[in-house]
Amino acid sequence: MERTVSRGAILRALLKKELIAYTRDKLYLFLTLLTLVFVVTIFWIMPDSVEETITLAVSPPVETLIAEGVETFRAMGAPEEQLAELSEIDLAEESEGVDLLGFENVDEMTAVIEGSLEAWRTDSGELVIRDREAGDEKPEDATRLSVDIGVAFPQSFIADVAAGTEGVTVTVYSDAAAPPEIENAMTSFVREAAYQLAGRDLPVTMPDEDTIVLGVDRAGDQVSYRDKLVPMLAFMILLIETFSMTSLISVEVLQRTVSAVLVTPARIADILAAKSIFGTSMALVQGLIVLGLVGAFTSQNWWLLVIAILLGSMMFNGVAMIVGSAGKDFLGQLFYAMAFTVPLILPAFSVLWPGSAALWVQAIPTFPVLDSLVNITLYDAGWAEVWRSFGFALVWVAVLYGAGLFTLKRKVESL
Amino acid sequence: MSLARIWKVLRKDFAMGPRSPFFLYALVLPVVLTLLFQSAFGSLFEPKPRLGIVDAGSSGITAAMEAAEGIELTLLEDAEELRRQVEANDLDAGIVLSAGFDEAVRDGSRPPLEFFIGGESYASNRIILTVTALDTIREVEGAAAPVTVEIVNFGEEGLPLALRLVPIIVFYALVLAGVAVPGSSMVEEKEKGTLMAILVTPVKVSEVLTAKWLLGMVLTFVMAMMTLVLNGAVGSRPFDVMVVVFVASLLTAMLGLLVGVVSKDSAMMFGLIKGTGVVLFAPVLWYLFPNWPQWIAKLFPLYWIIEPIWQVSVMGESLSAVWMELAIALGIVAAMLPLIVMLARRMQAQMAAR
Repeated sequence: MERTVSRGAILRALLKKELIAYTRDKLYLFLTLLTLVFVVTIFWIMPDSVEETITLAVSPPVETLIAEGVETFRAMGAPEEQLAELSEIDLAEESEGVDLLGFENVDEMTAVIEGSLEAWRTDSGELVIRDREAGDEKPEDATRLSVDIGVAFPQSFIADVAAGTEGVTVTVYSDAAAPPEIENAMTSFVREAAYQLAGRDLPVTMPDEDTIVLGVDRAGDQVSYRDKLVPMLAFMILLIETFSMTSLISVEVLQRTVSAVLVTPARIADILAAKSIFGTSMALVQGLIVLGLVGAFTSQNWWLLVIAILLGSMMFNGVAMIVGSAGKDFLGQLFYAMAFTVPLILPAFSVLWPGSAALWVQAIPTFPVLDSLVNITLYDAGWAEVWRSFGFALVWVAVLYGAGLFTLKRKVESL
Repeated sequence: MSLARIWKVLRKDFAMGPRSPFFLYALVLPVVLTLLFQSAFGSLFEPKPRLGIVDAGSSGITAAMEAAEGIELTLLEDAEELRRQVEANDLDAGIVLSAGFDEAVRDGSRPPLEFFIGGESYASNRIILTVTALDTIREVEGAAAPVTVEIVNFGEEGLPLALRLVPIIVFYALVLAGVAVPGSSMVEEKEKGTLMAILVTPVKVSEVLTAKWLLGMVLTFVMAMMTLVLNGAVGSRPFDVMVVVFVASLLTAMLGLLVGVVSKDSAMMFGLIKGTGVVLFAPVLWYLFPNWPQWIAKLFPLYWIIEPIWQVSVMGESLSAVWMELAIALGIVAAMLPLIVMLARRMQAQMAAR
């Protein structure tokens, strides 16, 4: 008696078998869920802002310096317009990137820089100095400020410099932990302020402010490390799924259950198709869940993200098939899996660095997938911006997937 | 328990160890990571402002910028390439200096300054590069500054970046040598049936477990110490460092033993390491991002060994500063001991039933 079984039915049966094998080990399943939860929790715990300003302590506060200057100039008989101009100086506004912190007392400022006193800023913007050793309580609704550098101006700084008085000295106090470029820049900052007060124009013509900034100006709106983690997390999940898929394939190869399957009407092509579909689907679903839980989807980018994760899933599934077919035992296969996947992780780290990835990183197969994920999630890229990356990724998918299918087919045939 | 039998099992494990991929990883990975982190990833957490200059006339500004501390300078030939790199955020800012620029500055003809800033550069880097460049141009002008700036420094220099990456590398040394090696050694013995074979000899389960624990401890101690030495992080208290690393090796090897006893096979062991790996790794993140709330780090078990290593080896503290962390780590070891004994009995019963 012979009963014809359709290829579709065989494939469905094999997929069901894969799912049962995957869910059989409850511990494995629990740990997979735990990883997902942990990864998402870590994401939401991380700060979502970027600290891009230098906190500069100033003594006396700029307002006091200006008021002093105005009084001196008034006494010298300066016209009211000049005094009004001086009063309207807002150094904080003019110095984007510098957060000025005014101290009435130089000793207090140096103690904060030295670390023996703490500086806190309340939500209403008030500066509170806390002497921890004296038992001062932590101020309520306040954030502690990290102050590494401060400038002590002479009280009559503005008037002295404007009058061309010789021997005006400003002291820059700096914690040794302050980077040298900040110390040098603040020294330059003080000198330039003095040049301006002395009425000495720059010896160059500065370009128009609008033409200075190239690209989208992200000052005050930088991509945070948390946001940079979004493509990285999706990528890591795909990578971890490679290990799971490798395990599923290798167990079948090592325990020869694949030979048992082949005595049924199932052919090698059915097994390869089932492995491909199952592995890709598992990685795809987990990648999409993570992206969903970290809020990466928008109504514009969802389909691009699905394509990117699909390409990534297929690529990693190809790697899993190669690795799953290699090695003589489980630990050997784990060794191969790590040897294959560690280089594939490197592009994920390149996201954390500013600028373009090095050429050798761009040559790694996973780079185009990661590049498209970065551009979609961080820079709102559309199809026009990512199709090239998708193209490169597709070529790599063809190579790795082809190699994976070929290797697994050879292995199954050899059993 | 016989010390002689423990020694025999341990000697066998050391002889067979190099055949295991985990053993090889434990030996190689800390060294590879040290090289990788020091060379490739050294500039991640304290990125320096990056300036590009196209200089057509050997300007004094270029020379001054080359000498400026803390600024990463790139010299380029082509202004278009400079603009491209600034726009791509490969540089924070760029300056194009035409031939005769310095002379034009000095003779007061106020030449136009071609200065670009990348849209993605941080505001702090913008101001550093802008004021430093302007100050340098003022120097080239040659006029005396209307103010003298004095610098007063406090304290000692901050930690070099390389040292801040030490917890990551030490973590891998601890987990691979302490958890993966004894765990995989135990599991492999179960899978290949050699554990059963050993147990029909006078060797007891407790002796096998002790030998595996010692295997993990010795390897962890050696690899963690080697990692610290390679990273120049032993500091001025080598004895104190050895004590904290010893406690760390006790705890991680105990974790490895737990993994080995619980896991029925390699797949389960790998699943356990995979699943708990993120929990084990978590405290290391707080050394990379010190602004995160520190209390969260204390919820993770390996915090209690990584923190003492950090404090003693990197921060130069003495043992008295970390006694509480060490006591908690030893407490965790003590708490795991009865659990392992119970699981080992169950494992033995399962093996006997087969």
